[in-house]
Parts: sequence; C-alpha cells; structure tokens
Amino acid sequence: MTTANGTASAAGTKRSFKLLIVDDSNIMRRRIERSQQFDELEVVGSASNGLEALELFKKTDPDLVTMDITMPHMDGIECIQRLVELKPEVRILVISALADKATAVDAMEKGANGFLHKPFTDRQLNEAIAELIRGL
Amino acid sequence: MLQEHELKTFVEGTTNYFEVAAQQPATVGSPYLVTDGTPAVHDYTGIITITGKREGIVYFTAPRAMLTVLLMKMQESDFSHENMRDLVGEVANTISGNARRDFGSEFIISVPSVVSGEKSEIPLAPGARSFVIPINWRSHSAKLVVSLK
Amino acid sequence: MSVSGADRTRKLLTVGVGTVLIVVMGAVLIAGFRLATQMNANVAALQTASMLQTYPAALAQHLTSLRDRLEARAYAGQALADLRTTVESFDRDLKRLASGPAEGPMQIDQAMMLWRQYAPVLEPVLAFNGQPYIDTDEAGSVLSKEGLEHYADVKRAHLFARENADRLQGMLAAVATGLQQQASAQANRLRLLLSAGVIAALVLAVAAAYFQITRASHERAAREAQEQTRDILRTVKEGFFLLDAQYRIGSVWSDALTRLFGRQNFAGLPFEELLKDLVPASTLATAMKYIKLLWGDRAHENLMKSINPLGQLEVQVDNGRGGRETRYLQFDFHRVMGPKGVKHVLVSVSDITSNVLLARELQESQENASNQLDMVLGVLHVDPVQLSTFLDATEAGLQLINAILKEPARTDAEFRKKLDGLFRELHSIKGEASALNLMSIATRVHALEDAVSELKKRAELSGNDFLPLVLKLDELMAHIKTVRELGTRLATLRESALPARGASQGGGVDPNEEISRTLHSLADRLAAEHHKRFKLAINGLSEMPAAYRATIKDVLIQMLRNAAVHGIEPAEVRRASAKDDIGNVRVDFRRVSDGYELVFEDDGVGLSPEQLKAAAVRRGLITSDEAAEMDTRAAMALIFRPGFSTKDDVSMDAGRGVGMDVVARSIYALGGRIGVSTQPGRYTRFKIALPATEEHASTAVA
Repeated sequence: MTTANGTASAAGTKRSFKLLIVDDSNIMRRRIERSQQFDELEVVGSASNGLEALELFKKTDPDLVTMDITMPHMDGIECIQRLVELKPEVRILVISALADKATAVDAMEKGANGFLHKPFTDRQLNEAIAELIRGL
Repeated sequence: MLQEHELKTFVEGTTNYFEVAAQQPATVGSPYLVTDGTPAVHDYTGIITITGKREGIVYFTAPRAMLTVLLMKMQESDFSHENMRDLVGEVANTISGNARRDFGSEFIISVPSVVSGEKSEIPLAPGARSFVIPINWRSHSAKLVVSLK
Repeated sequence: MSVSGADRTRKLLTVGVGTVLIVVMGAVLIAGFRLATQMNANVAALQTASMLQTYPAALAQHLTSLRDRLEARAYAGQALADLRTTVESFDRDLKRLASGPAEGPMQIDQAMMLWRQYAPVLEPVLAFNGQPYIDTDEAGSVLSKEGLEHYADVKRAHLFARENADRLQGMLAAVATGLQQQASAQANRLRLLLSAGVIAALVLAVAAAYFQITRASHERAAREAQEQTRDILRTVKEGFFLLDAQYRIGSVWSDALTRLFGRQNFAGLPFEELLKDLVPASTLATAMKYIKLLWGDRAHENLMKSINPLGQLEVQVDNGRGGRETRYLQFDFHRVMGPKGVKHVLVSVSDITSNVLLARELQESQENASNQLDMVLGVLHVDPVQLSTFLDATEAGLQLINAILKEPARTDAEFRKKLDGLFRELHSIKGEASALNLMSIATRVHALEDAVSELKKRAELSGNDFLPLVLKLDELMAHIKTVRELGTRLATLRESALPARGASQGGGVDPNEEISRTLHSLADRLAAEHHKRFKLAINGLSEMPAAYRATIKDVLIQMLRNAAVHGIEPAEVRRASAKDDIGNVRVDFRRVSDGYELVFEDDGVGLSPEQLKAAAVRRGLITSDEAAEMDTRAAMALIFRPGFSTKDDVSMDAGRGVGMDVVARSIYALGGRIGVSTQPGRYTRFKIALPATEEHASTAVA
C-alpha cells in the first residue's frame, strides 16, 4: 500500500484502515459504527446519500466503505461505480435489505466486494468486514 | 388469491427483524381479517406498495412505546421523532427485501414510506383482501397489515 | 487431470530408462574395447618376454661356441653371424618390449640397463670382420694378431655373458611374470566389466519391462476412467460443461445438455450464445455480469452462490414439434481452481420444470377449489329467500369467527381457547350448507374445520399456526360474496321472467338493513349454540351514516356476542331471579344534537365492579390500593382499559370484558366516546357517542 502504511507496520504498530459508512438511516449508520469491533478501523465519516458519500470520500480517502443501495440523491449502485473510478483499490461492502440477485450482481459488477443482508447480526457484520480487510 | 407462503414471507420478514436487530424474537399474535376497511394504525407506520403479480400495500405499524424499547435494545439513545420514523422505515425495508428475495421479479416493490400519528389513514386498495397479523414483542404489540389482491 | 500427470511421469521414466541403458551399454563397450586392446598388447608383450628369456643363455651359448671355434682354429664365421643375429634380435625385441603399448613392469628397465652394459663388451666382438687365422708351417694355423685380439674380446664377452646370463634371464622372467599378472588382472577386469554390463542390462530390461507393464495397466485404467466418464456424461440427468476464461464451453459436456438446449454441438460455444435466444435481454445481461464475476477473486464461493441469478431460470425452448415451450432451468456454478487462479467454471444445469409446475399447479388447484358449476347448480336449487337468510347467517357466523380471531392472544392457552369457538361456528355453518346442498360452501367450511381440528392436536400454538386459517376464512368470505352475487343475479332473472311481481323490496339493498339482518341471524345462532333465549330489538339503524357503518357493525357483533354468551342468563336462572324466561337485547341508534348516540343494552346478569377491579388487579393494570379507592364508575371504566382482555387469564370473570378494549379503541378512532352503566342482576348498558359526520351536517342543514 502507501509508504505511510508501510513504515507504520514496519514500526510495529497495527496497520489502520479508514472506514466510510453510507446509509440513509441514522440508526443503521450508528449501528454499523458501534457494532464493528476492529481496532484497526477508524470511522472517518458517514453519509446518508450517494452524493454526500462522494464528497466525503474525496475528503477522507477511505480504504473501506459500507454502502446502502436504496438512497435518495444517487443510489448505492451508481455511488459504487463513482467510488471505484476514484480509487480502484477501495473495498466496498454492500449492506442492503434488497435481496434480489440482480441487485447483488449489479453491485458486485460495479466493484463491490461483499454483500450483507439487512437485517444482520453483529457477528455477520464483523465477519463481512473481516472478509473485506483480508483483501486489503 | 394470496397464498400462505406469501403471507409467511411478510410475517417472517417482520419477526426476523426483531430477532436480528434486537436479539429477541417477536411472536406472531392471532391473525384476523379486516372487514371494516380500515385496520388500526399505531403511532408510526412504514408502508411498502406492491405491484405486479399482486397489487396493494403491506405496512408495519407500531406504537411509540414499542419502538422506544426496540431502540434501547439496539443501544440507541436518541428517541426522537426522526429516529422512530427511521426505525419503522427499516422494518418496512426489511419486509420488502424479504419479499424481493422470495418472490423475485413477480413482485415490484416500492421504496418504503413512513407516516406517523395514530389518526393517519392508510388507504387500502379497493377490492384487496386485508389481513392483520399482530406482532408481539416483549409486552408490546405492533401490527403487520397485508392488503393485496 | 491426475491421469495425465501420471502419464507424464511414466513417459519421463521410460525415456530415463532408455537413456541409462544406452549410457551403460556404451560405457561397457568402450571400456571393454580398451581393455581388450590392452590385453592384446599384453599378450604380444608376454610372448616377446617369454622368448627373450631364452636369449641370455643363447647369447652365452653362441659366445662359448665362438670361443671354442677360435681355440680349435675352426671356422668361426658362422658362429659370429649367429651371435650377431641373436644380439640384433634381442636388442630389437627388448626395445620393443620396453617401449611397447603394454605397460612394462619395472624389471624391464633393469633388464635394459643390464643389456646396455653388454654393449661395450659385445661391440668389439661383433665389430670383428678380419681373418682370425694365419696359416704357418711350423704350427699349422695360428691366430693372427687380429685373431688374438678377437679371441680376447670373445673370451671377455663370454665371461661377461656367462656371469650375467642368469641375472638378465631372471629379470626377463620377472618381466614376463609381471606381464602375466597384468594380463590376468586385465582378464579379470574384463570379466567383471562384462558381468556388470550384463547385470545392468538385465536390470534395465526388467525395469523397462516393469514400466511397460505398469504403463499398460495405467493406460487401461485411464481408458476405463475415460469410459466411465463417458458413461456418466451420457446418462447423468444434469447438463454439465466447463466454461473457459473466454466464457466458452469446453470440449466435453454431458448428453443431457442436448436435451436441455435442443442443440448438438457445444464445443467452443460462448455461454452468451447458449442463453441468448432463451431469456430476456436483462436476464442475459445479469447472467453475463455474474459469469464475469466468477473469474474475479473479488467474491468467494459462498457469496457467489448466494447471488446466483440463474437459480431458477425461465427459458423458452423448441419443443421439437416446431413450437416453443417454457422450461425452468437451474444453473449452478463451481470454480475450478488452477495454479493461477480460476481455471474453469464447472456449470451444472438441471431442468426443474416439473418441480416448478407442480408447485404452481398445487397453488392453482388451491385457488380454483371452487367448482363453478357446483356453485351455480347449488344456488339454482335453493329458494332465493332461504339462500339470502342462510348467507346472512353464514356471514354473521364468519364475522363472529373473525371476532374470535381478533381477540389478542400470546400464549398457547389463549390460542387454544379460540379453537373451540371456531369449531362450533364452523360446524353449524357446515350443517346448514349441507342441508341446503350448497356443496361449494360446505366443502370450504369442512376444510376450515379440518384445519382447526388439526391445530387442536398441535403441541404449542402460536399465531403462525393461525395464518392458514385466516387465509381460508378470507377465501370463504369471498366465496360467500360470490354466491350472494350469483343469487342476486338469478333472482333478477327470475323477476324479469315473472314481471307481475314488481319491485317488492325497493331498489338496492340498504346496507344498514343488511347489518340488522346479520345481527338477527347472529342472535339466533348464538341463542341456539349457547342454549339461551332472548329477543333482539334493533331501532334506528337506518340513521347510521356510511362512515360509521363498518366499525359499528364490528362493535355490535362483539357486544352482541358478549351479551348472548355472558350477559343473558339461562332461562332457569332468570326464572329464579324473577325475570322473564326470554331475555332482551336492545340496540338503539339515533341522531342527537351533536352527532349520534348508540345504546346497547341487555337485561342480563350485569357487571360487578368488585369482580372487574379484582380482574384488573390480577392483570396488573392497577394496584390493589388503587382498586380500593376506585368508585363504581371508575371500576366500570376498567373494561375499556387496553390490555384488560389481552392478558392471559382463561377464566375471564365470566368474560364480561372480552374485546371491550378493542371496541373502545375503534370508537375512539372514530372520535367517539363509550361509557357503561350496569345494575348487577338487572342490566348492562353501553352508551356510545359519535360525532356528527359531514353527511349528517349536510342533511341537518337541508
């Protein structure tokens, strides 16, 4: 990854990742922030729609993003596409209640790396995030 | 004619939400038919509209007290009006997701909308068959209303 | 995969064995050739050495002979010539032996050294070519001066030769022995080499034979495996094939694929091409995106499986008779990993059409449980008035069933309690339907009744178990409605056929009138079921505005049920309390200045404030302290408290509060109020006030 990260890990400190949470529900955003149990994750922002997510993404340059699909002002699918254009190595976990296959395939095709179904347990969330971190 | 498995999909979508989000399962109360055209509405109601193979609406309506406890169980401390709306919206969202998974493209399901206030009237589709399924959770009771034709 | 690997190993081994064989044989041959050449030289040398051994003695012999001849003044020329020949031969042969190809033993050098010492001694002898004798008279032939010198040389040489002959001969013998040893060593070595060569050749031959045999057996195994694979591919019901990284079908596929897709050759066929004419464009697009994702490493197997969009694919295929038919295919995808990531994707396709159709048929047969003809015939045979009465009663019964369902329940006991009531209602409806030969209704009620009986056997009842009931109930209600419509149409037909009768009942059916009819039928039914006798009087219901109709109908049904089941006493009890055997239930609806008033009254057992309070305390709605402070009015109001009839209490204090909280709630929802008054043993009276509606306001103005 970046040199900064390289020196950090060389110095013995744990590699840290920046997480951006995108969901139009306040409760869901806070729930994700609260339930993730990774010391190496730093939540750098949370956005309630696609446009906001795009702005925050440019500002905070996160490594990981959790992404809702159904949102006002630019939905998750389009947002994923934009984020991947900005930073191809970003890892995106889709967290959505939409359970149809076409949505999932679309999201994955646009560049998502994982799919988590709402509602989810803390364990499911953490497993999905762990899977994503493994890919970093 | 609405099928048992269809009805069950909606019911399971609802009870599942409680089980997963609050780690405490909700139970299904005694279901009944809406014969007078206007089933009861509680403080907050999340509604999805369905078109396609079936047409009508499905909504989840819950009293403020229940939502407050649910938020507490989810370690929320913000019991604002906005958060209550948010919550019933999420439940409706989950019901919709469940239905999309089970019924696929046969059902076209809208993005959930939320209304608040006990007096709200939720118009049922004329000619639809409407079922009320009480959803009991802890000492509280909410309702799932399935009104489809 | 594994077969071809073993193949490769075996090929390598065969080539290896061949190479080793050639190398070994070559080495043996070259070494053997060299040894043989050496041995040839050795044998020649040995011969020379053996021959040379005789020379020192022969030399001495020639010198003796020469000396003797000189002493005897005999002819010495021949002797000298022989000596010369011998010396030359010896010198030549010795030199040849020393410089020969055979490695001479070291004695040869000593022999050479000694032989070189001979040279100065023999030189003068051999160099003599004069006349040794002079003929004299006095002494005959005498040695000449030259002869004397020659004689001296010969005697010296003879002496030297005699002295050294044995040594020289010994040395040459040693050389011969050495050569002999060398030769035998070489012979041994050659024998050894040949033996080693033969053994190596044998070993290699055996090894080659072994590999040949195993290869044959492997080939046989591979052939068998191939045959088995072919058999599997030929007989398996699923379509199997591999996709390569260009999403093309590989060279092997199961025969079922032909049946599934109606084509013969699949080799190299792009997956997109396979689906193109069978599915809509959007499905195809999703499918291709999915296939592409399979090649990426972004998603692991389980995730990919969970988002498979081709789990149940509806396709249109040729039916082989020139038409198209719909089939349902299930695609499963498995990645086949190679050293550099995904190598192939194994695709299995199964035809799940029969499963899907079966499920659909089941659904349709459920939906079409109604036998239309049955229904029409049934309705045709029933007298219109009788039919209408029956339908009223049935609708009332079904409303009652719904009211039973509507009572909140959480525990098994609460759910179980409903079953008896449901069963009783259903049973009587079924009886009447059968009596009227309305089989389409009787069958449905029977199914519902069965479902209820089934539930009775279940261990732990919950609302989920009631979902099928409520669906069946809904279906039955819809059916009753259809039958009613059919009945009305038939009645109209009859009337137009008999125009003399005229319009007897006015235009349409007044819905309020219908409610009255329902309530009367319900009263009859409840009286019969609970062995009660009472009269129902309904007044002013025609005043009821349409906006309240549905709610009030529900409310009245609920209150009527309470009155009939719990309020009105059995005739003998009434008689004992000096009341009429026949009880009275009154419903009065009227307009009042600010809206409407509905009074529902029965002259039954009344409510007991103490019992209500006790129940409320038991249910945790109030504390016993609060109860003690409550006046009668407040105690009465308890039955409208939410939860009064929702808590788990089977005895229910004669059930007086059943559903009243629900009733109150629906009245409040209309913006109305509800109150209760009672006199124990005399009456219970509910008074409901409802606000004016727009309808009312406008009529009031008019």
